[in-house]
Amino acid sequence: MRKVALVGAGVSRFGVRKASYRDLIWEAGKACFDSVPAVKPKDVEGLVVGSVMPERTAFQSHISSLAAEALGIRPSALSARTEHMCASGTVGIRYAYAFIAAGLADLVMVLGVEKLNQPAGEEAILNMGTGVDREWEASFGLTAPPCFALAAQRHMAQYGTTEEQLARIGVKNHTHASKNPNAHFQKGATLAQVLGSRMISSPLRLFMCSPITDGAAAVLIASEDRARSLTDKPVWIRGTAQALDGFQLTSLHEDYAHWPALARAAQSAYRMAGVTARDVNVAEVHDCFAIAELIAYEELGFCGKGEGGPFAAQGRSDYGGDVVVNPRGGLIGCGHPLGATGVAQAAEVYAQLRGEAGARQAPDAAIGLTHNNSGMGEHVVMIYGRDAG
Amino acid sequence: MTYFRATDPFPLESADHTKLHEFYTRLAAGRLATTRCAGCRRLAWPPRAFCGECGADRFDWVDLSGEGTVHAFTVQETGLPAGFQGPRVFAIVKIDGLRVFSILVDADPAKVAIGSAVRLSPLRVADDPGGSARWLPAFRLA
Repeated sequence: MRKVALVGAGVSRFGVRKASYRDLIWEAGKACFDSVPAVKPKDVEGLVVGSVMPERTAFQSHISSLAAEALGIRPSALSARTEHMCASGTVGIRYAYAFIAAGLADLVMVLGVEKLNQPAGEEAILNMGTGVDREWEASFGLTAPPCFALAAQRHMAQYGTTEEQLARIGVKNHTHASKNPNAHFQKGATLAQVLGSRMISSPLRLFMCSPITDGAAAVLIASEDRARSLTDKPVWIRGTAQALDGFQLTSLHEDYAHWPALARAAQSAYRMAGVTARDVNVAEVHDCFAIAELIAYEELGFCGKGEGGPFAAQGRSDYGGDVVVNPRGGLIGCGHPLGATGVAQAAEVYAQLRGEAGARQAPDAAIGLTHNNSGMGEHVVMIYGRDAG
Repeated sequence: MTYFRATDPFPLESADHTKLHEFYTRLAAGRLATTRCAGCRRLAWPPRAFCGECGADRFDWVDLSGEGTVHAFTVQETGLPAGFQGPRVFAIVKIDGLRVFSILVDADPAKVAIGSAVRLSPLRVADDPGGSARWLPAFRLA
């Protein structure tokens, strides 16, 4: 297989945006093309768009063609949309990676976009119920918060994890987001604010949850030869893996604090990249809720099983610790425009490994990881390197 | 007209719409049932018309006990979808060795604990567009 690298990245402003679905595509596309002036839209051979629910939020299908036309891309090798709920963006990156590694394309854009906020707030939440099983789960009013709350309840009961340890992750990610001009939230948060915020689904409080957010992100991915011709600092895709335990809650591991699919995906990705958890300098993990980041520390191997609470409380996932986790602010601080999230994670790692992350820069970042999930049983892990490996 | 028209959040349960209609017929009569694969005899939850283990598409209906215990639960206070109100007790119920996702109706959240005994309490929801009654397999504290 050929080596593959990121050669450009751009992100729209995330938030409750006064913008249409197409406006967001334009913003992310513009930011991505601006990051690599040598590439014009006509040079791009393929486009993959990660987007979960435009049929509900924009009454629109046929997404990849819409985005290609909006950006002036004329796909000659690949045009597709990926829908894998919250992991749609990273699943799209994997498609582009595979096409390029196999020699079927040399330059592909992956764009993630979601316009979740609607004039009526309760409609936006109703739409999120499309991500769980309609007949056996969503018919009861289930959306994501109670799912992850089950994991939090279990983790607290089994390992003594505390509400304060969960809140520390909310504080960290809100604080990181305050240094990210594209983040949904810009004000940071104190421990007292997080612990005093309203209860969403016990024990998860508002500031431990990602909000309903509009946004888009794009990356340009290239074969080795094309990458070296476009930039002095390609960011190499060194490992990629996906693993699934199940879709319905009752198909997952009986211990909801135990996510074996994430451990399997991580080990596969590390093996492919020739690295271990200890080599990771910067990680963008899927903190849709604080408990998800805490369990990710464990399953990714940053700490042992059950040690995620102390790991967070001791600052080991922050600047000056073992690994900087979610420097852009994560989903809690940046918001979670579903299809855009995985692509925005890749864009952050791209900036970090090039040393261009400014106030958010993790020192001497050489190996970056992204983790994107869709529910507690479906995980995608990518490993990026400053060196081709 | 309101700005948005909420989609119907409940399944279409009649024989015109699903191979699993027997589940709902029994549920309306107060019985919790599921499928047993006619090929490999595996008991499924939720019921299914294709066996992912042996590939058979023939199945028998089996009544479950209707009494179980709380394996895990959470109380959602706010942020529920349009048409649903909090506080809402979501639970994983252990029943005859199976895990069943559901809600606990009329439950004081302070009285719910892991291990609490619960029993089936079919919940009538909005009729389907053809006017037929619909039920969901909800539970209540025993």
